[in-house]
Amino acid sequence: MTVAEWPDAKRSLDAYDLSGKRALVVGAGSGVGRAIALALAEAGADLALCTVTTDGDEMVAVRKTARQVRELGRTAIDTATDASSGQGAQVMVRQVAKELGGIDVLVNAPSASGGFLGKPATKVSDAEWAKVIGQNLSATFFACRAVGKEMLKAEVEGRARGRIINVASALGERGLANASAYCAAQAGILNLTRALAQEWAAQGITVNAIALGWMEDSPALGDPTPEANQTVRYIPMKRAGRPDEVGPLAVYLASDASGYVTGQVLFVDGGLTVHL
Amino acid sequence: MVLERLRLDGRVAVVTGAGRGLGQQMALALAEAGADLVCAARTREQIEATAEAVRALGRRAIAVPTDVRRSEQCDALIRACLDEFGRIDVMLSNAGIGDARGQQAELWDVTDEDWRDTVDVNLSSAFYCARAASKAMIERGQGGVIVNVASGTGLRGNPTGFAYGAAKAGVVALTKSLAVMLQRYSIRCNCIIPGFVAQAPAANQEIAAVFGARARYFPVQRIGEAWELGPLAVYLASDASSYVTGQGFIIDGGGLAGGVAPVGFAPEVELT
Repeated sequence: MTVAEWPDAKRSLDAYDLSGKRALVVGAGSGVGRAIALALAEAGADLALCTVTTDGDEMVAVRKTARQVRELGRTAIDTATDASSGQGAQVMVRQVAKELGGIDVLVNAPSASGGFLGKPATKVSDAEWAKVIGQNLSATFFACRAVGKEMLKAEVEGRARGRIINVASALGERGLANASAYCAAQAGILNLTRALAQEWAAQGITVNAIALGWMEDSPALGDPTPEANQTVRYIPMKRAGRPDEVGPLAVYLASDASGYVTGQVLFVDGGLTVHL
Repeated sequence: MVLERLRLDGRVAVVTGAGRGLGQQMALALAEAGADLVCAARTREQIEATAEAVRALGRRAIAVPTDVRRSEQCDALIRACLDEFGRIDVMLSNAGIGDARGQQAELWDVTDEDWRDTVDVNLSSAFYCARAASKAMIERGQGGVIVNVASGTGLRGNPTGFAYGAAKAGVVALTKSLAVMLQRYSIRCNCIIPGFVAQAPAANQEIAAVFGARARYFPVQRIGEAWELGPLAVYLASDASSYVTGQGFIIDGGGLAGGVAPVGFAPEVELT
């Protein structure tokens, strides 16, 4: 009896190594966006970090992420764009691809900033609807489209031409009152992920989504302790998630080891959607 | 650092169906990440080979012949683990038979015995192992991880293979209930849902041709390779997945996300 030998097998922790990979994180100023950026950098990737809006505070937050990445010894360029504009995303992606010499990994994390609105559907204005859809769903599509073009152009040997990771919310699979636009946008991101996975699978680009449950820094959650927070008591783990608990999954999905995983929605939610 | 959270140094993992294929590759991946191993399956020579390969990586390993259809043997497996290592941190229930009894039979030709045997080996085994392993984890009071292996067959209907599909769907549901129940003891439970994954490299041209013919049904245009489950198993077994429980991780080349059908009728991709 012998042990099967696969020529391409990556079994050790080298499987997760991202050395030499160039990753663009859109929405790198939020808690989860930053945690993913730092995890990718710790695994060896060089980074471009971008905002979702042209808001000054968000730019400051992205710059802070960039500084932290540089402290880890990796390259980090920071940039700002209105990601809900197709042209803005296109210009930003071209510039990033030029500066980094290509893009191997795209992480879209626009939703982590919130955008629940928190008001009844009857009170949502056209502009509010358009803003939530724009900053979540449209921003994700525009970045995927622009980076997809770059990835398809790239001459790559082997199976890993590109990795796209869309960070979304478990609210893409469940409805929440007073959050209609956000729920619709998140559901859109999840099925956009499945469709793009089909479209680019044969070219070696995988597209997956990470669906988050309640995170500690979610603006809509309030006090995250179970004593104070009824929502948290309904999560099987009885606690909200920490942004750093999302990083390792992003590293796995960005790595060469996840080449047979595509079109998936992976929940990091403390068991929330399993129970409720 | 993020890669350190994937390490399993000092942890003990029990893997069923560890004698070949997916189970063997996942066992080796856990060992590479630092775990000591208990390798279980019916055939002693096969699990001895896996255990030997684990030892070659510098970890400790024992082989425990086990028929996972029998709950008393699953109990004995966990006892053997505790006797040798004094603890169990990871229970990976991989044992299952894809071409189990009655799998290709017409509905009316599936006997009671075929049904029971297929459900026992693919579903009951995971329940028996989870029940025994979680007890040991709770007594020690330091939590643990359960990883079950289901199948894409459990998520869609199929004109044959009633028992197998139902059993694997059962594994998905079992995983969710275990997750909700056991979280209070800091035990996480997830499952891996493979699509069409080769147990071993093609041994000859004939098998390679079968693999090639299958490839066109999957968006990534190839079938999976057993080693590809290793890094995913390490992620789910380690602290890297600390906020993940009750989930099914599908690894199927994109098949289920689009609907497994011959690939190629999508509109051409045009770049402008």
